[in-house]
Amino acid sequence: MESLNIYQNSYLFVIVFLFVALMLPIVALSVGRLLRPNQPTEQKMLTYESGMEPFQDARVQFHVRYYLFALLFVIFDVETVFLYPWAVAYEKLGVFALIEMLIFIVMLFLGLVYAWKKKVLKWR
Amino acid sequence: MSGEVIVFLLLSSTAILGGILMLNLKKVIHMLLAVVLTFLSLAGLYVMLSAEFVAAVQILIYSGAVTIVMIFGIMLTKHQAKEEKNKNPLRTTLVGLGIVVFFVTIYLAIRNLYFGQEATALHVNNTEQIGIKIFSYYVIPFELVSIVLLVALMGAVVLAKGEEGDEK
Repeated sequence: MESLNIYQNSYLFVIVFLFVALMLPIVALSVGRLLRPNQPTEQKMLTYESGMEPFQDARVQFHVRYYLFALLFVIFDVETVFLYPWAVAYEKLGVFALIEMLIFIVMLFLGLVYAWKKKVLKWR
Repeated sequence: MSGEVIVFLLLSSTAILGGILMLNLKKVIHMLLAVVLTFLSLAGLYVMLSAEFVAAVQILIYSGAVTIVMIFGIMLTKHQAKEEKNKNPLRTTLVGLGIVVFFVTIYLAIRNLYFGQEATALHVNNTEQIGIKIFSYYVIPFELVSIVLLVALMGAVVLAKGEEGDEK
């Protein structure tokens, strides 16, 4: 029970950090709003585009290729997550776990090779 | 009221708030931020359940990666289209009835749920415990996960390739 209390209380620091992280932008932006002069003109309100006149909405439909890259990222993200407990417990698990993890990685590597062969990774 | 209860109430109400906001907000980006809020408060709940590793994974995968995929998924669709208000009283009643039935069913199902003895040592070397469990007791499910991920990857490749073929 003692160690559980220590565990829970140590998360109080996380709450403090969370609070600071939330308050910092709120305070900085609202104090800045109080201090700065505010005289918006139409030219000032334009989006900065390196001297170009901006046109259209920024949130347009993207090409489907972007989606593929995001999905690839998520899949390998999930793979990485499984590597963490394996790495931490490796000392107690031994060679069998190494083989398991090799099978797991090779399985996903096959997917990567497939995507590579299908020229998904190439940007045209 | 102990501190644990207060934190639990705060986190759970933030999670529900995020869900409600997601359903009611109009802009795509705001909806996604509301989902992130829900995910983050769920991570807090996992921390309270002494599941530190799951909480870290929740932040890493859900709040990061899944939100990216969601943003792409929504950006790929026509989201500018105005939704016309369709208020059908019959439909509203049916939905309300469905919610009530669902609530009663779940309430009756979980009222006498017994999970066995409470685990008390979960917070000690949490990640290591999970690793030992996965790699010595749940090996087959773990390898199946790799197959599932492979299928998802190939499916995405096939879908995206099909789309490009149409353009040519």
